[in-house]
Amino acid sequence: MLSLRKLKLEFNGWAVLSLLIILLIILPNINILSNVFKEANDNWVHIKTYLLEEYVINTLVILLFTGAFSLIIGTSLAWLVSVYDFPLRGFFRWTLILPLAIPPYIAAYTYTGLINYTGVIQTFLRNFFDLKINQKYANIMTIEGSIFIFTMFLFPYVYTITRAFIEKQSASLIETSRVLGRKPLEIFWVVVLPISRAAIIGSTTLVLLEVLNDYGVVQYFNIPTFSTAIFRTWFAFGDVNTAIKLAGLLMIVVVSILFLEHLLRGRKKFAYTTTKVRPIKRIKLKGLKAALAFGYSFSVLSIGFLIPTLQLLYWAFLTYKKIFNSKFLILMLNSISLALISSIIIIMLALIVANYTRISKSILGRICAKLTILGYSIPGAVIAIGVVVMFIALDSQLLWLYRLFNTDSKLVLSTSIAMLCAAYIIRYLGIGFNSVETGFEKVGKTFFEASRTLGMTITETFFKVDIKMIGPAILSGFILVFVDIMKELPLTLILRPFNFHTLATQAYKYASDENIYEAAIPSLIIILISFTSILIFHRLVDKEGEDNGHRN
Amino acid sequence: MKKGFSRITISLLLVVVLTVLAGCSTTTTGDTTNNGGEQDNNVEQVVNLYSDRHYDTDEELYAAFTEETGIKVNVVNAKSDELIERLKREGQDTEADLLITADAGRLWRAKEDGLLQAASNDTLTANIPENLRDPENYWYGLTVRARVIVYAKDRVQPSELSTYEDLTSDKWMNRILVRSSSNIYNQSLMASFIDIYGEEYAKNWAEGVLANMAREPQGGDTDQAVAVAAGEGDIAISNTYYIGRLMGSSNPEEKKIGESLGIFFPDQNEAGTHINVSGIGLTAAAKNKENAIKFMEFLTSEKAQKQFSEGNYEYPANANVEATDLLKSWGEFKTQNINLAKLGEFNAQATKVFDQVGWK
Repeated sequence: MLSLRKLKLEFNGWAVLSLLIILLIILPNINILSNVFKEANDNWVHIKTYLLEEYVINTLVILLFTGAFSLIIGTSLAWLVSVYDFPLRGFFRWTLILPLAIPPYIAAYTYTGLINYTGVIQTFLRNFFDLKINQKYANIMTIEGSIFIFTMFLFPYVYTITRAFIEKQSASLIETSRVLGRKPLEIFWVVVLPISRAAIIGSTTLVLLEVLNDYGVVQYFNIPTFSTAIFRTWFAFGDVNTAIKLAGLLMIVVVSILFLEHLLRGRKKFAYTTTKVRPIKRIKLKGLKAALAFGYSFSVLSIGFLIPTLQLLYWAFLTYKKIFNSKFLILMLNSISLALISSIIIIMLALIVANYTRISKSILGRICAKLTILGYSIPGAVIAIGVVVMFIALDSQLLWLYRLFNTDSKLVLSTSIAMLCAAYIIRYLGIGFNSVETGFEKVGKTFFEASRTLGMTITETFFKVDIKMIGPAILSGFILVFVDIMKELPLTLILRPFNFHTLATQAYKYASDENIYEAAIPSLIIILISFTSILIFHRLVDKEGEDNGHRN
Repeated sequence: MKKGFSRITISLLLVVVLTVLAGCSTTTTGDTTNNGGEQDNNVEQVVNLYSDRHYDTDEELYAAFTEETGIKVNVVNAKSDELIERLKREGQDTEADLLITADAGRLWRAKEDGLLQAASNDTLTANIPENLRDPENYWYGLTVRARVIVYAKDRVQPSELSTYEDLTSDKWMNRILVRSSSNIYNQSLMASFIDIYGEEYAKNWAEGVLANMAREPQGGDTDQAVAVAAGEGDIAISNTYYIGRLMGSSNPEEKKIGESLGIFFPDQNEAGTHINVSGIGLTAAAKNKENAIKFMEFLTSEKAQKQFSEGNYEYPANANVEATDLLKSWGEFKTQNINLAKLGEFNAQATKVFDQVGWK
C-alpha cells in the first residue's frame, strides 16, 4: 500500500512538472489559436479569393517532394553508413549531419550566386571558353529549386535520428536475419524499415515542419506558399490579426498531421531484446559497390556542404577586409553561450516531459507528447508575437518584485535575454523531445520496470538507469537543438535585447539587403562552430559506443 | 515519502530561478535605459532605437553621435513590421524612443497605430523638405532612393525610354524584369500610381507590365540587374542604389555588369520619378525624448547626411547636402510631388491590385 501511494505522489511530481512545461508551450500559442475564431474581414476574403488556392497547392507540392526526397536520402545514407564498410565511411558517418549547419536561406542565396550570370561557373565558361548559357537552365528560383534546397539542407534530421536508431537498435535483429539467410536489401525492407518506422517518420515530420515555417527561401525565390500568405497579410495589409488567423489554421493542420503521424507509427513497440546492445558487424563492400557507396555519400556531402562552404569561403575572401573585425569575437561568444544555455535547458525539459509521457498511460500524457511540437509548426515571427504578449503580461505580474529592487522599468523580463531563451524553448522543445522520445522508445520499459521492482523510485531509476541508457539520444537531440539555435533567425531578430547581436543576426543584416558576399563571414563562422560541436559530440558518443561494445 | 517529488521540484525550481537570474544579469539595457533624460547626471544618457536599416555605416554614425554628445545609442535591428508590432504590444512601457524604417509607408502605419508623436522642431523642419516628412511632423525622411528603369546599354537607347506607362506598350514584350509584388518598393510604386492617377490606371499598368515580363518575378533588385546583363531581358525596374552597389562590388564580374547598365529616370515630363525614403519617427512613449530629438537633429544635419546617404549609394534627404559624384553622374531628376505618407495609405490597396492582376 505504502509503495503504491509513494508511486502516485512521485509520479505526480513528474506529471506536474511536465504539465507546467507544456503550459509554457501552449500559453503563447493560445493567443494565436484564439484568432482562428475571430470574424473574417475584407483581407481574409481577398486572400481566399485570389491567393489561397495557389498557396495551398504550392505548399503541398513542396512538402510532398521535400518529405519524400529527405526520407529517401536520409534513410538510405543512415542504412549505408551503419551496415556497410566502404572508403571514408567513418568520415561520412559524422559529416553527413553538417548540411544542417547551413541555414536554408543562406543556402538559397549561395546556390543562386554560384550558378547565376556573375557566379563562378558561368564566369569561368564565359571567360575561358566564351560559352554563354541560356539563363533558363541556370535558374534555381523555382518550386523545384526550393525542393532541392530544402531537401539538401534538411535531410540530416532524418539521417541523424534514423542512424542513431539503426546503429543501437538493430544489431541482433540484423544478425539473426543474416544467419537465417536473408540478403542485405531484404533485411532493409523486411526488418530495418519496419522497426525504424517511428524514427523515420518522426524525423521526416521535423523536416516538413521546418519547410512549413520557412519564409526566407520562398520569399527570395518568390514562391507563393502558405507562409508567404501569412506575411503578405501582415506586412502588406498591416493586418496582424488575419495573419495570425492564417497561422492558427496552419497550426490546426499541423496538429492533424501529427496525429496522422501517430497513427502511422502504429502501436507496436520495439525495444532492446537483450541487455547487451552490440554494434552491428558491418559488411565490407568491394569494387564497384564500394565505389558507388562512396560516390553517393560524397555527392550528397558535396552538394549539401562542401560546395556551398567553398563558395562562402570565396566570398569571405572577397570581403573580409571590409567586414571582419574584433566584434566577431563578441558575436561568437553571444551565439555560443545563448545556444549552449538554451539547448541544455531544452534537453532537460524534454527529458522530464518524455519520461512522464512514456510512464503515463493516460491520454493526457499522449497529448503532452504531441503538444511539445506546437511551437515548431508555425513561422517564428508569429510565435514571437505570442511570446512578447506573454512576457509583457508576466512583467506586469512581477511589478511588485521590480519595485523591491528599486528599478523604474516596467519591462524587465521582456527586455532581457530571458524572453529569447523562453522563445527558443517554445520553438525547439519538440526537436529535443523527439530525439529523447526515440531513445526511450528504443530502450523500452523493461529496464525501468526491473529497476522499479528492485525498489528504486522513478526518480532514482531515471538518473541511475534511464539517462545512462539513452545517452546517445540525448546527445543527438542536444546537437540538433544547438545547431538549430545557432542559425535561428526570426525569434532572435525580434526578441533580442538592445545591442545584442549574434552571428545569425549579423548574417541576416547583410543578406536581407542583398549584400550576400558580406554575409559570408558570419555564415561561415556559424558553420565552423556547428562543425566543431558536431565533431566533439560525435567523439563523445563514439567513445561511449566503444566502451559498451567490443569493436567499432 | 515525498523524497522523489521534492527532489525534482527543487531541482527544476533551481533551473527556473537560475534561468531568470541569468536572464537578468545579461539584461544589457534593462537596468540602464530606464532613466529619463532629466534625472541625475551621473546616470548614463541613452537613446533607444528600433531600426530596419542594416548598414555598417549607420553604426559608425551612431558612434560619432555618442562621441559628440555622450549619449549612448542602443539598437534593436529587425524588419519594420515586426518592430512596429513589438512597439504596439509593449505600449506605454516600451523602452524604444525612436523607430527607423526603410519605407515611408511603414512610418505612416506606425503613426496610424498611435505609436509615434510629433517632433516639431525648427532644426528638423529646416533640414528636411516638406514632401519628405509627415505633414504633422510625426516622422522625417533620412535618405532618398528612386525607383528607376535600368537598361542594357548595348541593347537599349535611352531615347527609347520615356515613362512608367510606356513599359506597358508592346515594344517591351518579353523584355522587362521586375521582382515580386511582395516587395515593399513595388508596393510603394503602385501606391504612388493609385494616389496620382487612381486605382483603374494602376491596375491597367500592372496588367501591362505583367504581360511584358521576360520571366516570372523572382529574386531581389540585384538579381533583376544581373538578369538584364545576362540577356534574360533588356530593362528592369530597380532602386538606384543597387546599381551603385554593383559598381562598387568586390566581385569583378559584378563591377563589369554595373558598368554595362544605364539608369533612366522615367516620367520626367509627367508626374516625376517615384521616390521613397528611409525615415525616423519619435515613439509616443519615448522616455528619452530630449536625447531622441538631439539624435534626429544629428542624423538630419549636413555633416551626418553626407555619410548616411553615401554608405548605401542613396540621395541625402537634406537639400543642402550634395549627392556623391556617382549619383550626380546619373543626372538630376524630377520626383513625384506627393506626400510620402500616401505610400502607406495606399499600400494595402496596391498589394490587392497586384493580386487581382496576378503579379506574383
